[in-house]
Amino acid sequence: MTTRTPFLFLPQLILLLTTLVVFGIELVPGDERRRKDWLPAIALTGLGGAAMAIIFLWSRTTTPPAGSILAGMIVVDRFALFFQILAVTTTALVVLLSTDYMRDRTPDQGEFYGLLLIVCLAITLVVAAADLLMVYVGIELLSLTSYVLTGYLREDRKSTEAGIKYFLFGATASAAMLYGMSLFYGATRTTNLAAIATALSEAENSLRGLVIPAAVFLLAGFGFKIAAVPFHQWAPDAYEGAPTPITAFLSVGPKTAGFAVLVRVFLIALPNFYPDWMALLSSISIITMIVSNLVAIFQTNVKRMMAYSSISHAGYILIGIVCWGRGGFGGSFEGISGVLIYLLAYLFTNVGAFAVITAFEEATGSSRIEDYAGLVSRSPALAWAMLVFLFSLAGIPGTGGFIGKLYVFGAAIQARAYTLAVVGIITSVIAAFYYLNLLRYVFFQPPTENPKSITLSATAKITLIVTCVLTLAIGLYAQPFLQLAQASANLW
Amino acid sequence: MLSDYVFIGLFAIVAAIFPFAGFAVSYLVRPKRPDPVKSDVYECGMKPIGEAWVQFKVQYYLYALIFVIFDVMSVFLFPWAVAYHTLGLYALVEMCIFLGILVGGLIYAWRKGALRWV
Repeated sequence: MTTRTPFLFLPQLILLLTTLVVFGIELVPGDERRRKDWLPAIALTGLGGAAMAIIFLWSRTTTPPAGSILAGMIVVDRFALFFQILAVTTTALVVLLSTDYMRDRTPDQGEFYGLLLIVCLAITLVVAAADLLMVYVGIELLSLTSYVLTGYLREDRKSTEAGIKYFLFGATASAAMLYGMSLFYGATRTTNLAAIATALSEAENSLRGLVIPAAVFLLAGFGFKIAAVPFHQWAPDAYEGAPTPITAFLSVGPKTAGFAVLVRVFLIALPNFYPDWMALLSSISIITMIVSNLVAIFQTNVKRMMAYSSISHAGYILIGIVCWGRGGFGGSFEGISGVLIYLLAYLFTNVGAFAVITAFEEATGSSRIEDYAGLVSRSPALAWAMLVFLFSLAGIPGTGGFIGKLYVFGAAIQARAYTLAVVGIITSVIAAFYYLNLLRYVFFQPPTENPKSITLSATAKITLIVTCVLTLAIGLYAQPFLQLAQASANLW
Repeated sequence: MLSDYVFIGLFAIVAAIFPFAGFAVSYLVRPKRPDPVKSDVYECGMKPIGEAWVQFKVQYYLYALIFVIFDVMSVFLFPWAVAYHTLGLYALVEMCIFLGILVGGLIYAWRKGALRWV
């Protein structure tokens, strides 16, 4: 089945057009305030259109993929489309979170939503990139817009500091990644991922001394995006200082994009070097799980705690990539589909948790953990929603997080990577400690001073309901989501 | 294979020596007649006022950024213009869309007051 090229590009075209409309609306003279209320609605319409286009392409795509566009730069396969759906969903939820949060905090609403749409567009390009050049261009577009969004609250010192830190770390990581790419080009005379694999298998082991360092450099760039230790130092500061909806976005959007690129580049371009990068990735995974969970215990700010939590999840997800195919493809736990189901559950859980944090910050202006004391008496809905999300993050059965962990750890055990599985399970128990500690404040600590009840805005309610329902749905009725992940996990 | 790298190494050494050699030679051969004006810091022929570490007006950067729009535009326009006859209508339409988006960016900057010097 062939789909004509313009159709393969449809989601990106819709996103681009929406971006232009959102920017254009800023220029129309007239009543500014009323117009600003339209911006989220326009952004959501565009995202909905893009989502429909992606679902249409997903249903029409078979393996091998429907086709590649822009001279092999971009490949439209189910793997890419799955990640594009994740990106569009995340952006839509973040737009919902931002409507109230950003309204009073910045006069430049149009640019905010415009940039958010560009980040989404960048992710849809990155996850479909089949060429190192496209990977680089996509990641740069993604990074530059994320830096601006992180430092969007210009008057706020912390936001500015977060933006600059993110930028400096990101620029360094990009430089390292680009150097790695140049080494690949030098070694194989091509930037196309599949062609690199062919060239490397023809050269057999003669290029080994060049490929291993190049892969390490690439990993620095990708590791920065997924925020894995030791490339994680930017995350706590950026997460704490960024506007809270953007923190929610940073913890999901760029991370999923980073994982998509990581999987595609390493599996397509470097399958022959699997034993080497497997060792590299497993050590990164183990360090990430241990360091992030231990540091998270001592955090007093809930955004910083969530930053370390999101770093630790990068460690768990890496297990899935490490255990790719080692247990054979016939097994019931396959690493890559484990990664996909994990990311799907993580998306709703984490955005949901940040929806609670955003709503709480809107009401009280605080994000310190001790201020969450007695939240259950101030807003039962927020407290119980937080319970669902934190249970899911901790991986307690009945929630989406459990299914994700089950499949990733299952893949590890099937592949006989017992060290990874054991470290993963032990650190999950440690993680449960700080998640439950926050719940202890929410449910069992008496509120400190004048406990006013918190009223939720309509958009906050919608976000909470959607994320809560989907987090539970993945946990309780996982079958359709698993099928979706398994159907999308096929890269060839 | 290895001998290829010898050239790179030689080149690196020569590149490192070259600027120092230039300064050294000119130091040796030039006449030395310093006076206060001559050894002063050169700044457009004017006497320097204040420090060089001052905050620059942010509008310089805005102008630089807007210049980049035109810069990128011309970078893509040249190859397109050279190959215009073989590319045909499709490329013309594509180029118009490309220019349209860039001009949109310029209009945006203009309407937002980025071109006004305050």
